[in-house]
Amino acid sequence: MNKKLYILSVLLLWASVLFAQNTTFTAAVAKTEVAVGEQFEVAFTLNGNGERFAAPGFGGFQILSGPNVSTSMTSINGSTTTSISYSYILAADREGDFVIGPGSLYVNGHIMVTRPIRMHVVKGQPQRQMRRGVPQQQQQAPIEQVSAADVSKNLFIKAVVDKTNVYQGEQINVNYRLYTRVGILENQLDKLPDLNGFWSQDANDKKQMQVVWRTEVVNGTKYNVADIKQTILFPEHSGNLTIDPLGMTFVVRQQAPARDVMEQFFGSFKDVKVKLKSQPVTIHVKPLPYAGKPVDFGGAVGTFKLDANMDKTALKANEALNLNVRVTGAGNIMLFKTISTNFPLDFEKYDPKVTDTISKEGGRISGNRLYNYLLIPRHEGKYTVDPIKFSYFNPATERYVTLSSKPFHVDVAKGDKEVNVSALSPADKQDVKILDKDIRYIKNTNKNLNKLGNEFFGSVGYYLLLLLGPVLFIGALFYRKWHQRHNSDMVKVRSRKASKIAARHLANAKKELTTKNAKGYYEALFKGIYGYLSYKLNIPYANLDKETIAETLRSKSVSETLITQLQDTLDFCDMARFAPVSGISEQEVFDKAKNMINDIEDEI
Amino acid sequence: MKYKHFLYLLIFLISPLLSFANKDLMADAQYAKGQYKEARVSYQALLNEGYQSAALYFNMGNACYKLDDIPSAILYYEKARHLSPADEDINFNIRFANQKTTDKIDEAPEFFLNKWWHGFILMFSLSTLSILSIVFIFLSSLVLIGYLFTRSVVLKKTSFYISIVLFAIGLVFIFMGNRQSAYFDSHKQAIVFTSTVTVKSSPASAAKTLFVIHEGTKVDVLETISNRIKIKLANGSEGWIGAGDVKEI
Repeated sequence: MNKKLYILSVLLLWASVLFAQNTTFTAAVAKTEVAVGEQFEVAFTLNGNGERFAAPGFGGFQILSGPNVSTSMTSINGSTTTSISYSYILAADREGDFVIGPGSLYVNGHIMVTRPIRMHVVKGQPQRQMRRGVPQQQQQAPIEQVSAADVSKNLFIKAVVDKTNVYQGEQINVNYRLYTRVGILENQLDKLPDLNGFWSQDANDKKQMQVVWRTEVVNGTKYNVADIKQTILFPEHSGNLTIDPLGMTFVVRQQAPARDVMEQFFGSFKDVKVKLKSQPVTIHVKPLPYAGKPVDFGGAVGTFKLDANMDKTALKANEALNLNVRVTGAGNIMLFKTISTNFPLDFEKYDPKVTDTISKEGGRISGNRLYNYLLIPRHEGKYTVDPIKFSYFNPATERYVTLSSKPFHVDVAKGDKEVNVSALSPADKQDVKILDKDIRYIKNTNKNLNKLGNEFFGSVGYYLLLLLGPVLFIGALFYRKWHQRHNSDMVKVRSRKASKIAARHLANAKKELTTKNAKGYYEALFKGIYGYLSYKLNIPYANLDKETIAETLRSKSVSETLITQLQDTLDFCDMARFAPVSGISEQEVFDKAKNMINDIEDEI
Repeated sequence: MKYKHFLYLLIFLISPLLSFANKDLMADAQYAKGQYKEARVSYQALLNEGYQSAALYFNMGNACYKLDDIPSAILYYEKARHLSPADEDINFNIRFANQKTTDKIDEAPEFFLNKWWHGFILMFSLSTLSILSIVFIFLSSLVLIGYLFTRSVVLKKTSFYISIVLFAIGLVFIFMGNRQSAYFDSHKQAIVFTSTVTVKSSPASAAKTLFVIHEGTKVDVLETISNRIKIKLANGSEGWIGAGDVKEI
């Protein structure tokens, strides 16, 4: 029981102590004005217990190390103080005014924030900056507490680039150099740089690089220098690209303060493990200019020569043809796109076989790339292969250069076997069903050979023949009209017709009448009437007598009065031939006979 | 003595006729014997003399085909088709010869009304149509004349209607002939004779190449600008080529 009370009292005491304490959370820097690349430390210190530390954004600065957390507890005169410190080592990227934002932390559920710190970054001296900037991060070896400043003066890695302002595709050499003034016992490569955005290749092929040491004086201090890694880079896109740092871990031997006489005499040293990183280098990559960029530009940057040749100039269709295009020079040879070619469309072409021969002599990429095009002309004819064109950008003159080969003339003879190549709609013409084995035979008959240019249709003759029918019809129409006009009066027509017949038969009688020969006249009249009847009734003249006439006329339904009249007239004429008659003139008899004939004509 | 002169005159008049008949028979005989080269020369001689007929062109095309000169064969077949559009032999041989050409062109499907229309106006050859139209118009006139002069009412009615029908048929034939002639006049076609022709997008020779056609392909000639012609393929593709690369049908 007592024990419990004791523990409780202690805890309460602790709590009172904590509450009594004035908890502060501050951010501090050594100085607010720094040079570009100069490294400095920002520490967020809390005296008390806190949790969930949230770091501010360090815009404009690069975090070289951190957060490094240290806790300490001091007990002075019975009052115990705890403090937590989160520290960062930063370096400024560029000059200007920057603000280190507030860091935040939870203490007993309450959020605490630091005050933002305004930093003024000035342009630093390059050498100074270089040297200061190089040892960026030091992780303290677990055993030994080694301050960064201690080692950085004596051991650092520097990334040396030959240019920082290049065109896209222009070669850059990066040399990671180790500067040291201390003895290195061990070294180990932690991390090879990623080199994002670059096409990279080691300048030395040898796997195990032989380190050559030389001495170099930097700012009046003599260092042993060795090239760790040499890399050739080609920026793949424009913009500010960063060459990643190279990380290495070294174990170095350091002088240690002597603790006793013996150590003083023999010299005291300790082995320290140091992690080093090189400083990242920003390369400003300019895009290739748009002005004057050739259409077929394939990304070649450097200086090149073009050489093209063809193995044959005359061949048969369907035979193979080789076109070799060789690009020689220094630059990003392995990064070319395929050369744009313009072969005749009837050439079957295959993707070129590409052979690179690259040398890295003297740290420059040079060599040649060979494109081997296989072409197969499919049809006979004389073809011209357009000149092969190759464009590159020369960064030295900042100009595009277009190289051109001479055009090639190919004479293609007719091949042994014609292969159908569908140039238009490939492979979608359906197989034609077998119609027959051969063409149809010539026409032997019905040839209708005509002289050329005698097109019948549309000719004058054609139209004349065409009009023949209608013209005939019109003629017929006119004829019918005329005919109708003349036949309109039926009586007149009939009398004209009848008198014509009568006149024909009575012609002799009329002649006698004019000569006043009465006997002859009546005889002629008699004969005329008989003749007419014989003709009309189709009875031979010899068989004709009054009874026959009357009978026949009756059978033809001639009126009785007319028959009587006819018989009277015939009797009268018969009588008048032998005896003179009176009371009726010869003319009257003639008219009577004529009328009678007309009447008979009407009735039959 | 007199009839002798007359005989000479007769021989003088008939001999050219006989000569073409002879040549024609000779050519046919040569073809039958398989002497295609000679037959072709003989047919060519006839053509040079200015004779033409569907059969002559057809036979010439056959001779060319046998000599493996496909473009010429197609050209002569097409000429024969102009004179006799509905001839099955000619159309068959055109199809057959087209199988031997390099370019496989899918004909763009023709609108069915268009197809019917062309089938209709190309049903008879132009000479057949002209004769038919004359005959029908003439018959119609004769029947109409009969109508004028007959007295029977029944005959009059019948003849009138028959005449109208005949006249209408005659008019249709004239119309068909007219359309056919216009079709061939407006529808200029040509056969490619150069083994490979690159078709450009404009008359300038520096123009972009659109596609490539080969000998034997039939193209529609749309327009001509100084030695360059605009062509259209059966599948609807258009472009410009040199006028010298083709021979017009």
